[in-house]
Amino acid sequence: MKTAIAVNLEKISRMTNIGIVLLLVGSGMTGYFVSFYFHFLTVFFMMLVLLNLHWRHGQTSHALLSNFGLIAQFRYIIESVGPEFRQYLFSSDTEEKPFSRVERAEVYNKAKGMDSSSAFGSLLDFDHAEMKLRHSFYPVDKDAVQPFDVAVGQARGIESVYHIKHPIMISAMSYGALGQNAVRALARGAKRAGAAMNTGEGGYPKYHLMEGCDLIFQMGTAKFGVRHEDGRLDESKLAELAARDEIKMIEIKLSQGAKPGKGGLLPKEKITAEIAELRGVPLGSDVVSPAHHIECTDAESTVEFIGRIQQVGGLPTGIKFCLGRSDEFRELVKEMKRQDTVPDFITVDGAEGGTGAAPKSFMDDVGLPLFKGLPLVDQILREEGVRDRLVLFAAGKLISPGRQMQAFSLGADVAYSARGFLLALGCIQALQCNRNTCPVGITTHRANLEQGLDIEDKAVRVANYIEALHHDYKELLAATGSITSSQLCEDNIYIPIRTVMQRSDEEAS
Amino acid sequence: MKHRKITYIAQGVAAILLVIASGMKFIGHEHSIAIFEALEMEPNGRYIIAIIELGAAILLLSSYAGVGSVLAVGVMFGAVIAHLTKLGLVVNDDGGLLVGMLLVVFVCAGYVMVSRRREIPMVGGSQR
Ligand SMILES: Cc1cc2nc3c(=O)[nH]c(=O)nc-3n(C[C@H](O)[C@H](O)[C@H](O)COP(=O)(O)O)c2cc1C
Repeated sequence: MKTAIAVNLEKISRMTNIGIVLLLVGSGMTGYFVSFYFHFLTVFFMMLVLLNLHWRHGQTSHALLSNFGLIAQFRYIIESVGPEFRQYLFSSDTEEKPFSRVERAEVYNKAKGMDSSSAFGSLLDFDHAEMKLRHSFYPVDKDAVQPFDVAVGQARGIESVYHIKHPIMISAMSYGALGQNAVRALARGAKRAGAAMNTGEGGYPKYHLMEGCDLIFQMGTAKFGVRHEDGRLDESKLAELAARDEIKMIEIKLSQGAKPGKGGLLPKEKITAEIAELRGVPLGSDVVSPAHHIECTDAESTVEFIGRIQQVGGLPTGIKFCLGRSDEFRELVKEMKRQDTVPDFITVDGAEGGTGAAPKSFMDDVGLPLFKGLPLVDQILREEGVRDRLVLFAAGKLISPGRQMQAFSLGADVAYSARGFLLALGCIQALQCNRNTCPVGITTHRANLEQGLDIEDKAVRVANYIEALHHDYKELLAATGSITSSQLCEDNIYIPIRTVMQRSDEEAS
Repeated sequence: MKHRKITYIAQGVAAILLVIASGMKFIGHEHSIAIFEALEMEPNGRYIIAIIELGAAILLLSSYAGVGSVLAVGVMFGAVIAHLTKLGLVVNDDGGLLVGMLLVVFVCAGYVMVSRRREIPMVGGSQR
């Protein structure tokens, strides 16, 4: 979205930062030559300049202050009175999109390790269209909940089974979409919490590897990092990557919720020497990601391709897609059975699944939303009898424990989030990911903006967020009377508008 | 906590010295008058500064010590400017005693300001 303020923020802040120094000099001179009384102003501006220096160079916990100084402080001041203003004049706390202030605040609080309890009543439209988890008359003790452990690849009997230990993982975000500091902060946080992180389709995961966390290598339709010049798979490169200790699984991306059925275009201006090297593309020309893998043109070739990656990589291997037509998916599953090649996991991405950049119509109007697509995938897998041969991951706004439990009830085994972790990194939803101007230094490669994102400080927040989600997961699970999330089913949630699946139970009347 | 203890001591020292300084100004000690004449602020400036110093001292001893430290540091900045631009380091043949006291208050109040930065409204509130 183009907004006048965002465009000028840097200019205004530079003017402000220089302006207060000039004011200091001016008042100092008048104090000296005219009247000593002017030195009251001198002192004021002197403290302001010192404070500003501290914000810009002395502290690391606030990226905005670090990047813009004084002018950014107005954001905090205005934000602190924002709820009042908004309540009377502008949108309410539950109105903003894609994540409302209430939703974001929960992530911020978890990331900062603060109490996220709320008082007096829910801020949501409580009696209307909210999905709810159904608790049990007989909750179990929280300590009775089994430790989270999902083994990927076990059904295939391979050696390199990967055990997922947290209900949440960091979803695919490439270096390229994210800046290097953001990638490293996420990776360091994941390492600390012992959670897994997806590399995204950005090619050789140089910055992801730096922190030594468990990685899921994603192979996009352009196969960045593991391609021949013509876009076909370079098996030796993939095998080399898969042999690395940190790489635990491989995800073949068939489509993504934000732009299902469409590849991306990486304009030549954005291709630096480093990105060209990591992605294995030539410098100086646009790179088009095809809408599908060259190798995959129908169900048969797709399943063959999955089998080939399983062989080459020797790792648990899965596919990621946003569901379009369920009959097509059923056909794919039938083909899997025919060839006896089942992926070790499937990631269902909800439509709208955020991204750095996607064509508006694709983001808004294509693909099935998660809570429709996920139960359909689960149901088809069950009907075809392959559900227990693979693990289901789900992505799509699963940023709060409540939404995650809903996904678990609709068939997911593990939740994935991308934007939840961006919020944990300090994202303020400025909606500029595609413009290289991210004001908090996350989705940008500009050094002056990235310097505000302190890797260590934000890594702590990422780890806090993962731990807090895990904690809430256990509490909610205990309340449903289950000891593992695989016991949850659709009956564990209440769906007021019956769009997810038509079922006849007591609400049908 | 050791850190907290030092902060309290610094608050006390700064407050006592500030009370003495403002007292001298209120009663119109001849040295004070001489200084403010040199600055061409006599007598109004003398009373204004005395009031700010007293206010800072009281705040430093209250639960608003963070605010008090900012005031104290501000006044001391002003004093430093005065000594550097108009008065010189030795005033009324005191061998630098006044400037020495000034620096003590400066350091103490500065320490309080840094260690209590989170309590300073508007500025510190967002540092949480
Ligand atoms: C900045 C950014 C970059 C992304 N890059 C990729 C990518 O390279 N490959 C991919 O499959 N999905 C990518 N995604 C989509 C996410 O992995 C995820 O599927 C989607 O954002 C939905 O999850 P969320 O609602 O928790 O953000 C990206 C998302 C964001 C926000």
